Amino acid sequence: MTTSLATGVAAPSRSPRARSRDRRRPQRRLVFLLPAALFLGIFSLYPLVQLLRMSVSDVTARTLNSPWSFVGLDNFTAGFSSGQTTQALVRTLVFVGVVTLLGMVGGLAGAIALRTRGRWSGLLLAVMVFVWALPPVVNGSVWKFLLGDAGLINTVLLDLGLRQAPAPFLYDQYWALMSVAFVNAFAVIPFNALVFRAALMNIEPETFEAAALDGANRWQEIRHIMLPAVRATTLVLLVLTVVYGFRSFDFIYVMTYGGPGTATNTLPFLGYLQAFVRYDFGLGAATSVVTVLGVLVLAVVYARSIRREEAES
Amino acid sequence: MHTQHSARARRAGRRSLAAAVTAGVAVLGLAACSGGTASTPSDSTGGSASGSAGGGSTTLTVWHYFSDANQVKLMDEYAKKFEDAHPDVTVDNVFVPYDQMNSKLVSAAGAKTGPDIAVFNGAETATIALGGALAPLDDYWSSYSDAAQFPDSVIHKVDGKTYAVQGYVNLLGLWYNADILKEIGVQPPTTIDELEKDMAAAKAAGYQGITLCGLPQSQGEWQAYPWLTSQGFTYDSPDQSSLAAGLSMVRGWVTDGYLSQEAVTWDQTVPFQKFAAGGIAFAENGNWQMGTAASDAKFNYGVVPLPLGSDGKVYLGGEGEGIGAFSKHPDLAWQYLTETYLDRQGQLLPVKIVGSIPSRLDAAKDDTVTSNELLKPFAETIAKYGANYPASVISPDAVADVQLTVGQAWSAALGGQQSPDTAASTAVQKLSSLLG
Repeated sequence: MTTSLATGVAAPSRSPRARSRDRRRPQRRLVFLLPAALFLGIFSLYPLVQLLRMSVSDVTARTLNSPWSFVGLDNFTAGFSSGQTTQALVRTLVFVGVVTLLGMVGGLAGAIALRTRGRWSGLLLAVMVFVWALPPVVNGSVWKFLLGDAGLINTVLLDLGLRQAPAPFLYDQYWALMSVAFVNAFAVIPFNALVFRAALMNIEPETFEAAALDGANRWQEIRHIMLPAVRATTLVLLVLTVVYGFRSFDFIYVMTYGGPGTATNTLPFLGYLQAFVRYDFGLGAATSVVTVLGVLVLAVVYARSIRREEAES
Repeated sequence: MHTQHSARARRAGRRSLAAAVTAGVAVLGLAACSGGTASTPSDSTGGSASGSAGGGSTTLTVWHYFSDANQVKLMDEYAKKFEDAHPDVTVDNVFVPYDQMNSKLVSAAGAKTGPDIAVFNGAETATIALGGALAPLDDYWSSYSDAAQFPDSVIHKVDGKTYAVQGYVNLLGLWYNADILKEIGVQPPTTIDELEKDMAAAKAAGYQGITLCGLPQSQGEWQAYPWLTSQGFTYDSPDQSSLAAGLSMVRGWVTDGYLSQEAVTWDQTVPFQKFAAGGIAFAENGNWQMGTAASDAKFNYGVVPLPLGSDGKVYLGGEGEGIGAFSKHPDLAWQYLTETYLDRQGQLLPVKIVGSIPSRLDAAKDDTVTSNELLKPFAETIAKYGANYPASVISPDAVADVQLTVGQAWSAALGGQQSPDTAASTAVQKLSSLLG
């Protein structure tokens, strides 16, 4: 329809004034870009450049507000040779793995549950948005309380006879990392569910009706209709969730402070300890650069997947 | 002249740069300041002394990290005391989370701003002063007529300059639940052996033995120090076997069921709240908990010095008070300090409200102090076990690192992440490089 209409109308000859206006348009577009570019430059690019500079400098509380001396890659080698960066990197990867797995599966499950319109799905949606909007410090404090020895979860486990002693959710080195990762995943599930839901809502109802006529059960609907429909969204969300897990700091800060010992020191928290507890800003910046590099790689993957999704749509 | 101006401008530029970088580090992965839970120094009320606010024409800004109701009340009382004497002045107490205080002070200094007065952990004076956030007090102190009333241990110097003075002393003691001790038929312990026997008896009677802080940071190190030194550990000559012995002893309390392993997630406030809730025989905690004990504990309680033997030491801590390096009213700030924290009558307020011990010699002899039965064991501890906080052998640049290292070893051993021997070995290796 649109095509026939377009082809039926002859293109009018363009006046010199219109051509001149077209030539000026790119400049006008740049003006509109300026505030965002300025904002990004000041709050993203400039700190990033300074972070890089700091990571190759000797910066402590004593020298922070004076000229920084260049030390090359000393901060990076110090971090890796002490073993702290490597250990934190391994913990971060485990942490990211758990957050991503739970976040993606939970998000998709939530989206499937919320796909239908109704009172209960509306209520669940509202609760999920509430959880998503909670500040991490509040969310983490509530979970710290829930996971304590006298918290709700341990009380239920003990009362049901599932455990003889409270589960050491936050004070055993293995449980602690898993618990904080679980809470991190819990916090990202609502966002993932909302994005997945948007993709699922695009599926035509006729598709499900046809599948029902063919005798497809619920699982087959999920496998053969819903999963293919959210494939492009899944890639984007996967990258976003990995980035989210990679840079997670708040929940560790509130729930375990990196403990017991150093058991929950992931890269962002290690960077915090080095820069803001030990006041070795150079070392902390080097650890942060390692984190940023990981995130940047994922950002490139994200950008490519977005472009591909746009091309497909 | 032009050259001087340019050089000054460059220096100022670098400072601004440093502040921006600090913010950048926070944004890019460190994100330390993102979890602010209350009003922060970046708030409009959080800047340096400024124009009118409330009823006064001048506002003095005081940064502190107190969230406990009694400690907040003390801050309010000091503000009221000063405002009553100076109707043209408004004192604005600004809360900054404990973990963010030092970094906020240092980054504010980079931007040439900050509070008029900072109330912070006295042990961390070096970190803040080296970051350029505190003004030297030497000129004020040398002409202060009451300076002789203050012992050296409460005056914080860095590289020979005085940057902070403590208005009171805080330290740890052994709080006990008198009802539980009566029920199990024991007296408050005077040795570690007695303490362990008492905890065993309490456990057998269905109670928990003790609470303390096992957080892997400076609060953990502060609470670990008495027990570690009781086994011969010192910073003068860090010895792996004595550190392992101290860690092993307290880890033993965890494995014997006297102390909950959950302590590794507790700061100093939580374990006392648990003690005050009842059902726990002992708590290693400070004199500043008197207000909480009076309001929350529904049982008879008392305090004795920690049973540390002949080698044990207890840090003499407390908040240091200093003047911000970029205060616009440094003289008024000094006046505030001398009329509140450093004033003889002013020093009796924390005794009544919080239970802290005055740092002035004359105030320490006041009836308010000497007639307080709960303060006596703390006074006894000062005489018997008192130690400078931080240990004088630690260089100003290494204080924060040393505290974190030992705090993490303490937490690792208590939480079972590492054996006491491994935790001690790792810590002593780091300490050797930090202490030189």
